[in-house]
Amino acid sequence: MKIRKYVRILPGSVTVDGTPLAVDAAGADLLAELYRSFVKDYPKFFKMDVLCKLGVVATELLVMGEADRFTPREDRAVLLFSHSGPLCNDRNYQKTIAEDDFFPSPSLFVYTLANIVTGEIAIRNKYEGDTTAFELASFEPAPFVAAVRDAFEDRVTRSAICGWAEAVDASHFAAVMMLVDQDAAEGLDFTPENVEKIQSNQA
Amino acid sequence: MEELIKNIKLQIIEALNLEGMTPDQIDDNAPLFGDGLGLDSIDVLELIVLIEKNYGIRLTSPAEGKKVFQSVAVMADYVAKNRKK
Repeated sequence: MKIRKYVRILPGSVTVDGTPLAVDAAGADLLAELYRSFVKDYPKFFKMDVLCKLGVVATELLVMGEADRFTPREDRAVLLFSHSGPLCNDRNYQKTIAEDDFFPSPSLFVYTLANIVTGEIAIRNKYEGDTTAFELASFEPAPFVAAVRDAFEDRVTRSAICGWAEAVDASHFAAVMMLVDQDAAEGLDFTPENVEKIQSNQA
Repeated sequence: MEELIKNIKLQIIEALNLEGMTPDQIDDNAPLFGDGLGLDSIDVLELIVLIEKNYGIRLTSPAEGKKVFQSVAVMADYVAKNRKK
């Protein structure tokens, strides 16, 4: 099992396979810049909460250029881990119901579940395999690798978009995501040690 | 009516996060759903909230919404006749 590609997105920097990507924007504008540069034709992006935007653009950086890009497939899973889940969106939604004469926002409400991000990635890319969102105190490579390896035991999954995606608010977020492939001949071995190196930008 | 149409377009753009779109790019008579702006079922709910919040109009049935949200022009006409604020 190999890590075929990996990406780190922080408010001030983006790296793909350890190589910095030239970006002009930072913070809240960074995800929109990545969308305009790499996704381009998916206006639903602007309706998403920060966590979903982060997951969608990170996935785009992992899979762009793949053959048969939008052919539906069951063999690719989406497994994301975070600490806060959709909490920043929950806060925004809560503001819409905080006053007596309130108007709850349907478009914010639909993003108030932790697993919406994995669903949005699956919908965008036509992945019909397992989608799971985990919430952990922090990103720890060993349990992360174990959980992803477990997902490959279903005899269907051969590939996974997986990693850490954390959004505190519109300007503070972090993604360490990777494309893991059961059959890849090249790439980093999918081990806690290599995941830790990717996490700390030392791979 | 022209002013109301422009305001409704601005409110739609803001409420539905139609990034990069300006009022001029929305045809008064184009369908809001399907081939028009391509809005979805969650957007319908946002529009229902929009007209209640801004104009005091409460839609009580989905069928009513289907008629009211045919286009911006139809929506503006309905708002002009039924607004409470």
